[in-house]
Amino acid sequence: MKYALPAAGWAGALLGLAASLVLALYGFRAQRHPDKVRVSQLRAATSMMAVGAALSMLALETALLTDDFTMSYVAETHSRATPLLYTITSAWSALDGSIVLWAVILAGYILFAARKITDTTDRLGTGALGFMGLVAAFFFGLITTVANPFEILPDPPADGPGPNPLLRNDIMVAIHPPLLYLGFVGFTVSFAYAMSALVIRRAGVDWLVRTRRANLVAWSFLTAGLVVGAWWSYEVLGWGGYWAWDPVENAAFIPWLVATAFIHSAVVQVKRGMLQAWNFVLALATFGLTILGTFLTRSSVVASVHSFTQSGVGPALLGFFIVVLVGGFTLFAVRGEAVANRTRSLRLASREGLFLLNNLLLCLFAFVVLLGTVYPIFVEAFTGNQVSVGRPFFDRMAVPLSFALLLAMGAGPFTPYRWATPALMWTRLRWPLLAGSAAAATVTLSGIRSVGVVVVVFLAITIVAAAVRHLLVTAPNRRPSGLWRLISGQRAYWGGQLAHIGVAVVAVAIAVAGATATRTTVTLEPGGSTEFGGYTVTFDRAEQHTEPDRVQRDAHLFFHSGGELAWTATPKLESFTNQPQAVGIPSVWSTAGRDIYVALAQLAPDTITVNFYRYPLMSWLWAGGFLMAAGGLWALTDRRRRPEAGDRSPAEEAPASA
Amino acid sequence: MRRKLISIAFLAGVLSLLGVVVAQLLTAPDTAGDRAYQLEQRLRCPVCKSVSIAESPSETATAMRQAVQEQVTAGRSDEEVVDYFRARYGDWVLLDPPARGRTLLLWLLPALGVLGGLVGVAVLALRRRHQPAPFLSEEQRQQVSHAVADARGKYRREDLL
Repeated sequence: MKYALPAAGWAGALLGLAASLVLALYGFRAQRHPDKVRVSQLRAATSMMAVGAALSMLALETALLTDDFTMSYVAETHSRATPLLYTITSAWSALDGSIVLWAVILAGYILFAARKITDTTDRLGTGALGFMGLVAAFFFGLITTVANPFEILPDPPADGPGPNPLLRNDIMVAIHPPLLYLGFVGFTVSFAYAMSALVIRRAGVDWLVRTRRANLVAWSFLTAGLVVGAWWSYEVLGWGGYWAWDPVENAAFIPWLVATAFIHSAVVQVKRGMLQAWNFVLALATFGLTILGTFLTRSSVVASVHSFTQSGVGPALLGFFIVVLVGGFTLFAVRGEAVANRTRSLRLASREGLFLLNNLLLCLFAFVVLLGTVYPIFVEAFTGNQVSVGRPFFDRMAVPLSFALLLAMGAGPFTPYRWATPALMWTRLRWPLLAGSAAAATVTLSGIRSVGVVVVVFLAITIVAAAVRHLLVTAPNRRPSGLWRLISGQRAYWGGQLAHIGVAVVAVAIAVAGATATRTTVTLEPGGSTEFGGYTVTFDRAEQHTEPDRVQRDAHLFFHSGGELAWTATPKLESFTNQPQAVGIPSVWSTAGRDIYVALAQLAPDTITVNFYRYPLMSWLWAGGFLMAAGGLWALTDRRRRPEAGDRSPAEEAPASA
Repeated sequence: MRRKLISIAFLAGVLSLLGVVVAQLLTAPDTAGDRAYQLEQRLRCPVCKSVSIAESPSETATAMRQAVQEQVTAGRSDEEVVDYFRARYGDWVLLDPPARGRTLLLWLLPALGVLGGLVGVAVLALRRRHQPAPFLSEEQRQQVSHAVADARGKYRREDLL
């Protein structure tokens, strides 16, 4: 029984592979001949796939928890001294295990998608299951071949190196990767439905309405994953920021941008029957970009073009990306004619016109970030030269695009469909504009002279005020119960508004924390003190703590305000056994108004060099980010349609020009 | 009449507040800022992952920051400082890719993207003008209203919003 766990894991992956191939086969067959396949057969294949994925994950976790070093993955990523939490998270802290997590989440999504298919006459659904089966087959195929974590080591080591130091000093490793994967993987569902609709030439909103939930779930988790990732980078990496435009960050941000475009353009098609072909392109692009993002993150191509074949996973993901793109767009080119609507006219001064603008801006944004991310790779591949594309480039591109997006966001949700007159828009936006300009004037009078901050505050306050005004005007009555009835009755709209307010808060936090941050670097001897952010900072002592798997050196700095001790900062440097580089962990003091961030730059025997940062409104960034994710989730927790009266839709106001 | 007055009052309020903002911003003292820090943000740390030397605690970055500091104090211009590092590390050290040579395309492609988007919108907007509103017979109108009622019954209201 020595090899029971690797064998069980491997068997689970094989079962998953077989079941997903069977699902693909049955799904496509059912789409072609609905009477030749029973729903129970599709259900059985889906269930077996889920069982296989669960078995693999269970075997992996059990092997990690029982220090079973006969399993190759455990020998590579685990050590006996690793604490329980990081042992559990080790299951996805390295490449092979993360593919197992991907397969588990994918199986979960497919299981939920299959529950909605109650009849094989539902050709759109059965075909979509077929495509999901193909995607699942690819990932189970990876586990059984190039990313196999279940290889048996006949001569197991007594102990392993343990996980990467950055992945075992913060609880975030238990939260961030699963959130991100829940986001990435979820877009498989809309991709599969889009492909299925193309195969059977099914135009219309059916595929969009049926994938709305999966899309919103995926988008909300991806949003939360990105926010948590930025937070993690800020709290752990100690370089003083939260977003470096690193290729790994961009790889998750690009699909988010396109997915955001998709959930907006889907609304246009459902409400107005426009942008049909465009929605197929976006569903395909979102899924393709999640695969490309995984390729960029999971192969070493970013570090150097020539190292991406180190593991077979890189070429396999790149190949899959190309197959998805070429196959998907070929299908689209062949069938696009049949599903695209050409007769609808579009007026730019209308909500659908602003949706179109939003889509163009988001896609342009995604394109620019993608370009900046892959450009150095292409230059190196074709000319052998190395170039860098960093923050100055991305910031220059992102800032104007973000302003344009905020502008569209301020007007879009309050613009009527079909046709907006200037008089109507003025009626709806004059209060918000007054509030926004009052806020901007307050900001400048309070001494902040950064143009970026002032413009962002103006736009953000206008957006929030417009949402509040719309709520008050369209609610059945202005008591809390009436407002609640509107917000919980029209969850799609008000979930969207919640997300927009989240974006406004995030924009303000980014602008203010960026433009009004203060920083300083100080070298101190024990007992020495300095002034920072209105506090007297005294370096008390440095300590060294030895733990089973790490040596921790920390400095104790007292922050005094008016003679009273306000806070003690303990920035650390952690050195892990078996890992050469030390990890610097900052100490952060967050309040609603500002963060004080202390990171060690150097720890010499008798002096320390410390970086101090003061970021105003930093914690608003995380709050706004989670508000966005919450908005997405609110939009999808809808209730059944209640036929009784009292469910009246709010009356739109008459144009003031009358 | 009253409506018009309210509207004008709003417009005056918004414009005067924005006027205050613009006046404040225009009279803002010109802060030169920390030149060395701005230069440091444009130079890539050779031993780190895509961060500038301003952000890196590594020894190489510390040494480079010192070099920037010394040259700025010695009165060298921004270009001279940047060229000094380019000569030693190559184009790779510039986080902000120059709009020439190998990275020229990086500047042209986003511009092309903007142009493409504008052309696309223009085409969509112009096409509208050439389309007469379709005339629907009574029978077709009824078909449409049936289809709408059908869709409303089939999907939850939330899904159609």
